[in-house]
Amino acid sequence: MKNFRVFGLTLVALLGATGLAFAAGEEIYQIQPGFKKTPAMIMLATLAVYLGVGFFSKVSSPSGYWVAGRGIGKFGNGAAIASDWMSAASFMGVAGLLYLKGWFGLGYIIGWTGGYVLLLVLLAAQIRRFGKFTIAEFLGDRYDCHSVRLIAATVTVIIAITYATAQFKGIGLVCGWIFGIDYNDSVLFAAGVTLTYMLISGMTGVTRNQQIQYVILISAFLIPLWILIEKAGGVGILPQIEYGKILSGLMEGEVSPAIGGALTPEQLATVRREFLPWGTGGNIYHFIALVFTLMIGTAGLPHIMVRFYTVKNEDVARKSVLWGLFFIGLLYWSSPVYAVLGKFWHPMGGTEVADIIILSAPERAGLGSAFLGYLASGALAAGISTVAGLLVAGASAVAHDWYATVFRPDSSEGQQLFIGRVFTAVLCLIVIVTALNPPALIAQIVAMAFAVAGNTIFPAAVLAVWYSRSNKYGAIAGMIWGLTMTLLAMSGWILRVPAFQADGILPATSSALIVAPLAFVINIVVSNLTTDKITEESRAKMDNVLRKLHNLPGRVDTP
Amino acid sequence: MSPPKEVQFSFFRPATESMRREVRTASTVLLFWFFLSFGIPVAIWLAGLGDPSGLGESFLTRARFLGFPLHYWLIAQGCTIGYVLLCKLYCLLCDRRFRHASGPAGRPGA
Repeated sequence: MKNFRVFGLTLVALLGATGLAFAAGEEIYQIQPGFKKTPAMIMLATLAVYLGVGFFSKVSSPSGYWVAGRGIGKFGNGAAIASDWMSAASFMGVAGLLYLKGWFGLGYIIGWTGGYVLLLVLLAAQIRRFGKFTIAEFLGDRYDCHSVRLIAATVTVIIAITYATAQFKGIGLVCGWIFGIDYNDSVLFAAGVTLTYMLISGMTGVTRNQQIQYVILISAFLIPLWILIEKAGGVGILPQIEYGKILSGLMEGEVSPAIGGALTPEQLATVRREFLPWGTGGNIYHFIALVFTLMIGTAGLPHIMVRFYTVKNEDVARKSVLWGLFFIGLLYWSSPVYAVLGKFWHPMGGTEVADIIILSAPERAGLGSAFLGYLASGALAAGISTVAGLLVAGASAVAHDWYATVFRPDSSEGQQLFIGRVFTAVLCLIVIVTALNPPALIAQIVAMAFAVAGNTIFPAAVLAVWYSRSNKYGAIAGMIWGLTMTLLAMSGWILRVPAFQADGILPATSSALIVAPLAFVINIVVSNLTTDKITEESRAKMDNVLRKLHNLPGRVDTP
Repeated sequence: MSPPKEVQFSFFRPATESMRREVRTASTVLLFWFFLSFGIPVAIWLAGLGDPSGLGESFLTRARFLGFPLHYWLIAQGCTIGYVLLCKLYCLLCDRRFRHASGPAGRPGA
């Protein structure tokens, strides 16, 4: 660990000297180039804390590695859910998105929060009652079918890789800004930190770290708001409410006195458009489709669902969703404040303002360079904790569901743990390679993660819990339909087929409103057509799982 | 004796009394969820249909609530606060259900 810190510092010192080229931004919204000593020290100190926590939560059993020994309470698990969820993209990107997309962008906020209600009501407690390791295992056991298990594990891995890759955009921005190093070096640096502590500690370390990371990231995110809102003419008591007045003012053309205090009529027309419902493109169908897709995608994300295995009992599982959602809400109630204040000071900015709207906040608030380091640690924490959660989920899909269950059912616990660590490293390498050569359409591919989860995992999981006749044939048919349609829509989007564009009839990133209900129907119809094909033995196994899911009295099996 | 029959149920046809209560709790919460997620956007859409410019301006965008344009507040905070409260409601309903089911001594799921 010490060696690593020395290594990190050397790396930083070496690269800091060369990385001075940074384009100057807008007047208020600019970030200073070059290596920043105080912030860098603070950031390295927090990284050392993560590694230390990882080291002291060392584990020796597979259940410790995968599901944190099931000893995590409701606040802890809630904070871990929130930290898992709040990626670098949420931390830095949502405010920028709201800055650019105005009212329509709020669809992301309700999509990403409303999904937790579905997860809580339909799946959380049942998943805990089942109580094993992974989502693929849950689906595989419930449908008594290795194909279902493998499809689910594959989807888990696809989601883990695409989603984790995207995190490095945010991480690269932060490291580049603090250390003055370029994107490639930032990726290697952050990946090194993440991988080191994950390999040392597994899920227990990740979960403990995620609690620390949540505290750092949410406080770093919230503190500047109080100062900024005062600078914008508020009282500085509750920025999340006070920005409403500024927003109303914006829609009537009032902006910061520093830039003239009033908008020209053309500027006013543009700003008003953005904050009116349909002014930034899209109509009610697109809004609903987006919200629905993000919701069931959220409820179907394996690395979020697996959180319910890490708690003591289903009561804690339920309450940790409540707390998780509240912790997530704190971030999403505050993101629009940054967006609206951005408009207040910079009504006509484009992506160059949106990209650094959070990172430049402490400078505008005059919080000093120590705080910059703290905020950067928060952003880095957000990115790293999400990557860590994804890698654990992805590696467990490979090691637990592919290796230990299907290919080598006789492997020992030690072997499984070893394979788990190997695959964590392998996945991390894949992510690094993809992140170093990011596909041009990285944002689109990430959006696909939600569509895939919503179209494949969510219908299969809901029917697994709530429809006893649903069987493996139905599940396979439904999942293949969901996966195919998602991939089709995505390729269509990338090839610029009009129907799959953001304003088409089946927008690729919002495809679930149409595809997922059909996946439900296909699963149900095929299951009913194939009821006779299920063997007596398979029926008995499924029946046992179903009874467990719903706390029904055990099956009295007469041999 | 014939072998035991598999349990048969769906969300709409729960198998036991305890499942029936669980489903009722879930449907109550889902009803509110549906209203928040889709009812409010549709209301904003319907109200804005009269706007000839197609931007959806209406009494909801002109009204002010806590200083906010109402249509913005409803989505940015109304819905999300609503979701947190719904989760709280669900937890309360479950607690009550378990207290009924297991009596004063029982601890759910422990």
